[in-house]
Amino acid sequence: MQEGMSSQELKERLTLIETMIAEGRRRTESWGWIFVLWGFAYFVAIGLATGGRELSVWGNRHEGAWPITMLVACVLTLIIGIRKGKGQPVTTVSRAVLAAWISAGVSMFFLCPALAAEGRLDQHTFVALVAAMLGMANGASGIILRWKSQFACAVIWWITSVAACFGSIAQLTVVFLAAIFLCQIVFGFYTMVLEARRRRHTGVVHA
Amino acid sequence: MPERDEAELPDLNPVIHGKLRLALLSLLTTVEVADFTWLRTRTGSTDGNLGAQLAKLEEAGYVSVEKKFVQRKPQTLYRMTDEGRKALEEYVQALKQLLGTSLATGL
Repeated sequence: MQEGMSSQELKERLTLIETMIAEGRRRTESWGWIFVLWGFAYFVAIGLATGGRELSVWGNRHEGAWPITMLVACVLTLIIGIRKGKGQPVTTVSRAVLAAWISAGVSMFFLCPALAAEGRLDQHTFVALVAAMLGMANGASGIILRWKSQFACAVIWWITSVAACFGSIAQLTVVFLAAIFLCQIVFGFYTMVLEARRRRHTGVVHA
Repeated sequence: MPERDEAELPDLNPVIHGKLRLALLSLLTTVEVADFTWLRTRTGSTDGNLGAQLAKLEEAGYVSVEKKFVQRKPQTLYRMTDEGRKALEEYVQALKQLLGTSLATGL
């Protein structure tokens, strides 16, 4: 087989292997929209639950605001996620990141309604729990992807989680809203910009 | 410096040596599983050529194929086998060895 092959041809084969491995590792998934979607979902839930009249995570208005908004966000995430993920390859990294997020999501979706049903879920506990879970998922994802920006979001959520144990409800709400804005809306749009840039630079390798 | 005997040089695996087949195996090392469309986009090849080369890799036992339906649409998934991974590693080693020889002999 190697007879008649010049060193140039051999080098071309090695370059082809390197190029295709780099191409395969190039991430083209888009996840930024999920952060933005959930960021707005939290804002909508707080807005509907309080009627925008008080500085709290929920009030006496619309008791179903939080569960309904979360369910709608969950359904939207599933529908859009399935459509966007179609044709994307499965990698160990993507499965590990997804596992962290699904585990955090499932934990919140079982724990929060159970605590609420027993009347043991106050606003401080709720924010502390949600922030800790989001910190865990962002932290795991940031470490797996070696992404400092996402790990910074995890730190913000962890700080929010601890801060939620202290202060008044108004202070708690301000801290929660600030964390949502930074770690969901700003980080989400930043991720979307990065993803758009990466897609523009993706070139087909003709083998 | 002693002359290298031709018999000492490793053979390049002819199944992997084809450019598209080599590209496909290299791509599949980076993922757990990939579908036909993703492989076509990444290699820029035609459906016919891609299908034929993947069939050869499957025949050699280097990739495994799984066919399923997602939202009532057929999807063909390809996964690199342990044999395929070993074959590619051996191919790269052989390539490096040959390249070292050809550089030394000035070919």
